[in-house]
Amino acid sequence: MQATPGAIADEPVLELSGVYQHVKGQMALSDIALSVPRGEWLLVTGPNGAGKTLLARLLLGLDRPSAGRIQLLGRALDGLEGDALKRLRADVGGVLQGGSLLESATVLDNLLLPLRDEPLSRSAMARAARLVMTLLNLDGLENQVPRALSLGQRRLVELARALIREPKILVWDGFSEGLDLPAMRETLGVLSNLSRNRGLTLVATDNRPDILGDEPHRIAVLARGRLLFTGTADELEDARDTNLALRAALAGTI
Amino acid sequence: MSRARSSRPIPSDARTAPLFSGATGWIERIGLGGLALVRCLGLYGLILLGKARLDLPAFAASLRQAGLSILPAITLVTLVVGLILGHQSQSILARLDLPGLVLASGAYAVVMELVPILVGILVAGRAGVALAVRQASLAVSGEIDGLLINGIDPIRFTLGPVLLAMLLMSFAFTVWGSLVTLATAGLWLWGMAGLSPASLLGAFGRALAPGDLIEALLKPLLFSLLVALIATVNGTAAGRDPEGISQAATRTMIGAVAAILIADLLIVLFLR
Repeated sequence: MQATPGAIADEPVLELSGVYQHVKGQMALSDIALSVPRGEWLLVTGPNGAGKTLLARLLLGLDRPSAGRIQLLGRALDGLEGDALKRLRADVGGVLQGGSLLESATVLDNLLLPLRDEPLSRSAMARAARLVMTLLNLDGLENQVPRALSLGQRRLVELARALIREPKILVWDGFSEGLDLPAMRETLGVLSNLSRNRGLTLVATDNRPDILGDEPHRIAVLARGRLLFTGTADELEDARDTNLALRAALAGTI
Repeated sequence: MSRARSSRPIPSDARTAPLFSGATGWIERIGLGGLALVRCLGLYGLILLGKARLDLPAFAASLRQAGLSILPAITLVTLVVGLILGHQSQSILARLDLPGLVLASGAYAVVMELVPILVGILVAGRAGVALAVRQASLAVSGEIDGLLINGIDPIRFTLGPVLLAMLLMSFAFTVWGSLVTLATAGLWLWGMAGLSPASLLGAFGRALAPGDLIEALLKPLLFSLLVALIATVNGTAAGRDPEGISQAATRTMIGAVAAILIADLLIVLFLR
């Protein structure tokens, strides 16, 4: 599989092979195979109900596949439990569609959640929180509770929480949810810097295939739980001219 | 693939599927309860070893929920039970002049059975149902997922602090409830039937041996444990369906009351 310019090395940080998922007796994902090298950005797109969120949840280890193998940072996800899974999760950040912030906790406490068991002083934790808050223009919101924030701010707090431990891979489900255009551009800039400087790998899902703009990335198109296409944005443009199923999926009619 | 199938969007979450249903569902529920207990005890072990921290805000909230919020109800209920006991004992004593026997049997029934069961049911109704609803709400709102992806065991925010608070408060309420009941009944009999405090205390003392008192104080701890595990299982079984929240609450209440009565029966039958 051809790597995009953002990819740092060919060694994949994420590999899926023959992944199937059944939900309520229905085939939700079918024979998914993907490989993402370190530093690469992958956008999983497709119409509503295509299986994007389900795929993101599998990558984050929140659900287990009915069949198939998911390899994350060199470790098979399906066999991991307890401390081993916890250690792996330290390297994987997640932003979930619909939100997953603790509603009863302040923004600061939400941000510090991933650092709870780290051997860090309270001041070191607060410094780390300030850093990500400044990075994402969230200064001044420390003592707010999530319900007092706009949807866009909540999404950014969730992103800040995912980035505070400096993950190697970020899985972002519903990339454009709640974000206006300027916020999205700024966020893309932040992620682009992290990708260049630290080799952050991004797997994002969204209905829109052009959501990552000019940032170098690959696109995977899902429809009815099947992977119809993987390639660059230019390759997708070429393929949609000749592939009717792909064109229908991207038009949201499949 | 047919058009009919394409009109059914794929659920975004495998856990929208019903949990613990079918013929083997009850085995899975018992297994989940056992796992939750093991993980909770593991958490307490880590806290004692200084390797984990008790979530103090959640513990304080649980103490409020399992404690202060039901203290008036427990006081009122045990006060009423004391008045009934006093009144009934007075009626019996008017026909049967055996104060030692009447008071001893009444005190024994109150301390050994009535108060622990009443405390268990009230704690189930308040703290148990609250735990089930919290567990289910956290799942529906995605907060459990947020904890998991950040490497935090959700039990640290749910069963861990709540079980500890329920154990502490049930113990305290059983002592308080027994004292309120016996004191109220004693005051009634002193004032209305003219029994002296010394004879009342003597009858209570003869009725309750130290072993009985230990059992009476351990029982609510067992009841709390059962209530907390039933609430955890029902809260988890609710999945991510908002309708599951109310089901979790009602199932917890019914399951907890049944479990308390069955556990009490088994203690009476096999441990005495």
